[in-house]
Amino acid sequence: MESIGTKPPTTPVKVGVISCSGEDCLGGTISRLATRKILERIRLGEAVTICLPLFIAGGEEERAFAAVFPTITVDGCNKWCAKRATENLSGKVSDTVLVADIIGAEVAESAVLSTRNLTPEHMGMVDKVAEEIRVKLDRLADQNRR
Amino acid sequence: MSEKVKVVPCSGIGKVHGLLARELALKVANELCAEITETPCLAYIVTEDPEIKEKIARGKCVTIDGCPKMCAAKSVAHAGGDIAEEIKIIEILKNYRGVQPGNATALNDDGWKIVDEAALKVAARVQQVYEGEV
Ligand code: SF4
Repeated sequence: MESIGTKPPTTPVKVGVISCSGEDCLGGTISRLATRKILERIRLGEAVTICLPLFIAGGEEERAFAAVFPTITVDGCNKWCAKRATENLSGKVSDTVLVADIIGAEVAESAVLSTRNLTPEHMGMVDKVAEEIRVKLDRLADQNRR
Repeated sequence: MSEKVKVVPCSGIGKVHGLLARELALKVANELCAEITETPCLAYIVTEDPEIKEKIARGKCVTIDGCPKMCAAKSVAHAGGDIAEEIKIIEILKNYRGVQPGNATALNDDGWKIVDEAALKVAARVQQVYEGEV
């Protein structure tokens, strides 16, 4: 018999994280690496992603991404490409992370970086951005428990 | 031709193929053909913002895609870009059967070898595109 006051168990939903991965400035590299860190280390199995251009190249299933998952976009600079493209082609995003806000606009807009040339300083930037994504992801997961 | 060639990789985030495409593009555009190329952000192209559409419409594009979904080529074409060459990572990998190049976060030594070798061929192609030999 179920005791009074027992709540039904709830399961967190997966949260979508979409990175701009921009090729024209450092912010794009950091957005990509921070998103990868969330996916494969910090929230393995709890976060899902999609290649942003699949909203054009893919089909209905891909375009439904932001309707199916509460979604955080991660943008390198204040052009907000991931957020804008997702909202134009898929659905409203639940939260956003802007790399330029975390590492500074000037640094974010400096030359794009190959992963071959990553320094400890860059890895520190990745860690800071990943932490911001994690906080927002956990909040969304809590809000969207089923 | 004076317009720089736009080198646009898919940068796919889920597989090593996307990282190979990205690093190949950066090697060509930042090192081997720095004077004649640029790398507009694919995500910006996907927004179809008039500014990037106008930029893409000037000169030729070389796209580099990781998988058969061809996201870079389709997005550039959708935004009105003139694609002179579609590079396919899966075709390049046919010359490296059995090789594990790393993962979507980081390439290993084999992955960098593929990038460095393929970049020389892509750079030669980009030079031809820039010179109008297409
Ligand atoms: S947000 Fe900035 S860095 Fe990211 S794809 Fe757009 S222009 Fe590039």
